[in-house]
Parts: sequence; structure tokens; C-alpha cells
Amino acid sequence: MTADLVGARRWIRRGQILTALGLLGLALVYVLALRYTSVERFQGLPQKIFYVHVPAAWSALLSFSLVGITSILYLWLRDPRLDRFADSCAAVGLVFSMVMLTTGPLWARPVWNTWWTWDARLTFTLILFFLFLGYRALRGAIQDPGERARFSAVLGILGMVLVPFVHLTVYLFRTLHPQPIVLKPSAPSLPGDMLRTLLISVGVYTILLIGFVVMRYGVAARESLETSDAG
Amino acid sequence: MQVDPSANAGYLTAAYIVTALILGGYALVLFRRGRRR
Repeated sequence: MTADLVGARRWIRRGQILTALGLLGLALVYVLALRYTSVERFQGLPQKIFYVHVPAAWSALLSFSLVGITSILYLWLRDPRLDRFADSCAAVGLVFSMVMLTTGPLWARPVWNTWWTWDARLTFTLILFFLFLGYRALRGAIQDPGERARFSAVLGILGMVLVPFVHLTVYLFRTLHPQPIVLKPSAPSLPGDMLRTLLISVGVYTILLIGFVVMRYGVAARESLETSDAG
Repeated sequence: MQVDPSANAGYLTAAYIVTALILGGYALVLFRRGRRR
């Protein structure tokens, strides 16, 4: 057994432990949000979707930013591990985007009286999702590993450029989407128990993100070794 | 205007179920791929 294979298995094991911890944490967030966090006066129960929607947005945007950063590093250093890491972050970012794009309309329907509106924040988020779907499709379409890594790195960097723009859309355009209440220059405008649940949820999602990326990276590393052995 | 606190509970339930299905489902996929020899 080669050292590389042992290393890949170690990444998978670490990812499994972190993911299991993250899933337990998600159960804890559900209990905290439903049982120990107050109900918002004007929106009622649907406001509690906040505790799964906002951390999903945070995780998706963080994953896509990591794709861009590691893509820049790949173009500089040409290390295939960076390309594999960027691919893992893109796949995981798409999973969190799916949570964001499904829980958002479920929150919007009772509060805005519509499932979807084509305003700047929502539209740019959807474009970002499709851009990274394209990133994954592009990788699947190119056989040569070097070419695949180079082309997808360029697309990954372009995707990262959209991330701060998505965050700032609520300031730049008139939109139904609320402005940030935690990630803003002034202090968070949220009651203490709601802020506590939100921050715990963001922490849990971040653990899940790391667990997913590490496990996905380990699996990809092992599959790449198996492919090169077979060839 | 204040709302009935229990109104629209179905949207909350759906959102929490969808979240658990997506994140739990992806974890399951990765666990299976990680176990494969």
C-alpha cells in the first residue's frame, strides 16, 4: 500500500468524523431553534427558517470563495492537490446552495407572499449556482487532467468574483431581501437568544462544510490513485 | 401587525425536512463512496 493511499484514507476518516459531528450538531441546532429560541413577533414560526437558511448561504459563499482562492494558487503552483481541493469545495458549495435556494422560497412564501422574485440578490445567487453547476459540467467534459484543471481554475476564479457582489446586492439595488443583520459594520441587530442560535448554527454548518470537503477530497484522491494504477 | 405564532408552521417543517434531507443525503453519499474498496 502506497503512502499516498494511506494519506487518502486518513483524509476520508477525518472527514467522516467531522461530518458525523456536524450532523449531530445540526440536530442540536433544530432543538435549540424550535424549543429554546423565541418566536419572532411579526413573522411567527417561518422566521425560524433563518437558522438553516443564513448558515447555508454562509457555507455556500465560503465554499465558492475557497474554489477561487485555490484556483489562483493552482494556476501559480500547478499542484494537482489544489485542483482536487477546488473541485471538492465546488461540489460542497453546490450542496449548500441547494439548501439556500430551497429554504429561501419556503421562507419567502409566507412572509413576502411569493415563492420567488427576480430581484438582484436572488437572481445573482441563482446565477452563481448555475455558474458552479457549469464548473462541474466542464470538469466532467474534459479528459486531460492538466487542461481540465487549467480551464476550471479560470471559471472558479470568475465565480469567486461574483461572491462579494452577491453579498453587496442588498446595498446596491432596491430589493425585497433583508440587509445583513450580523455581517455588517455596526453591531448585530438581533435579540440575544436568536443571535446565539444563529452563531451556533453557523459553527455547525462550518464543521459540516469542512467534513464534507475533507471527505470529498480524500475520496477524489483515492479514486485518482486507483485510476493511475489501472492505467 | 402581529401574527398568530403557530401560523404557517408547515413552511418551517418543510424547510427543516428539506435541509436534513439534502445535508444528510450528501453525507450518506460521501460515506458510501468513502467505504468503497
